[in-house]
Amino acid sequence: MRRIYAIAVNTFRETIRDRVLGVIVLFALGMIIASLWLASISLNQQARMMKDFGLVAVTFFGLVVAVFVAASLVHKEVEKRTVFVLFSKPVGRTEFIWGKFLGLAATMLVVLAGMGLFLFLLTLVVAKQASGWLLVATALIYLQLLVVMAVTVFFSTVSSAILASVLGISVFVAGQLSHNVLSLSRLGNGVVLKAASWIVYVLIPNLSAVDIKPTVVGEASASWASIAAWGGYLVAYIVVVVLAASWVFRRKEF
Amino acid sequence: MLKRSVSVLVALACVAGVVVYQAHAGTKPAPAAGDPNVFVPSAKFYTDFSPSFRTSIADAYWLQMIQYYGEHWKTDQRFDALPAMVDLVTTLSPRFKQAYFFSAFALIDANRPDLSYHYLLAGYKANPTDWHFPFYLGFFAWTYASNKDRQHVAIVAADFYSQAAKLPGALPSVARLAAALLAKGGEKQKAIETWAAIYGQGDKYSQQKAIAALDALLPQGKQERVTVVTALRDLMPASQYSRFVSAIFRGYQ
Repeated sequence: MRRIYAIAVNTFRETIRDRVLGVIVLFALGMIIASLWLASISLNQQARMMKDFGLVAVTFFGLVVAVFVAASLVHKEVEKRTVFVLFSKPVGRTEFIWGKFLGLAATMLVVLAGMGLFLFLLTLVVAKQASGWLLVATALIYLQLLVVMAVTVFFSTVSSAILASVLGISVFVAGQLSHNVLSLSRLGNGVVLKAASWIVYVLIPNLSAVDIKPTVVGEASASWASIAAWGGYLVAYIVVVVLAASWVFRRKEF
Repeated sequence: MLKRSVSVLVALACVAGVVVYQAHAGTKPAPAAGDPNVFVPSAKFYTDFSPSFRTSIADAYWLQMIQYYGEHWKTDQRFDALPAMVDLVTTLSPRFKQAYFFSAFALIDANRPDLSYHYLLAGYKANPTDWHFPFYLGFFAWTYASNKDRQHVAIVAADFYSQAAKLPGALPSVARLAAALLAKGGEKQKAIETWAAIYGQGDKYSQQKAIAALDALLPQGKQERVTVVTALRDLMPASQYSRFVSAIFRGYQ
């Protein structure tokens, strides 16, 4: 546990040194400009637009950081051979993967918290309509991005950084469409096709089961039970994928 | 040194080129309005393929709809794609109230008052506690209905105003409109009862309006008037009723 913590802290410092937090500044500038622009073109719907588009921006800024940092994290260590120095010490490969993942998760927490809080304060100051649901939505986006990060770390243990990035983004897109795979499995007549579709449906992370944006903009009321169930599902998915990444990494020959 | 100077000069020339090009492009007259027949995907497409971003897509199309309306309103006055845009925005975001209100008036410019009415009804169904929807429905029914039977139209509009008046936040004038339209529609007894209820619940101005309207609607003969006014006792608190009676019989012996 101490070794995982040490690797996680180092990973956190390393990614922060890579100026990942600059994303928060970029997001803040983008949101300030967008809020001024939306005030003039949205026909008195500035608050709604700021919240909705703000959350979309949080998702995509976070996705870029999560995918590109996660893809290079393990790969960089192998490429630069620093991993050999690390493995000459009493550090297991599983501990290495978990440490790397948790370090990056901590970085993402800082990035998402920065963007979420800024969005909350901006809507409070500019549109005078901040909603606590904005922070809940940001927390759920964080969980979704952890899933994408875990999958990207998994792919980075078996492929190049670029391929892992592409696959990570593909999984994010597929995760938004997972319910369509289920519909396909219901359409098919053959048992094999149905079974195959169902397996794909289970394998792809379900990133669209709960959409909290309608609640944030006052469209619908969210159910805490479904949020909790979905949150639990995402955490379980993350654990499974990181364990799979560790298993693959343990068998990897350098 | 020379190499450095050349580099600086090249860089400055490039910057100047970029600025001059953009400045020149900005002086061109604003482009004419685009084709009014723009492609608008169905709402089902987005709900199937992007359920997590449904409201965000609705918001993006809301911005596009405003731009589209403004652009064509200033130029060719053609709004061919407007109904499809309204349908997309309100299907993806059924409780986006402003979209319904804006669309109701914009669709009048597109010569589709039937759709204005249709989307206001849909908005009312999705937002049953917002008094603005029945209020606008009453207004649209009264102003734009193609039905030549004005008495029937007045009753339909009055029904919407009555519904609006019962919802939280409704202005006191909404109930007065309902009562006035009931009288226009020939529903004299309903109009009398509505005005009496307005007197019982309304502010001082509403009470003055109610007395004036009732004075015209109630029978002029004292005995007949007493009979009708007695039947209105349950529509207002007892304390109000005695003041109401003295106001309505002012000038009678």
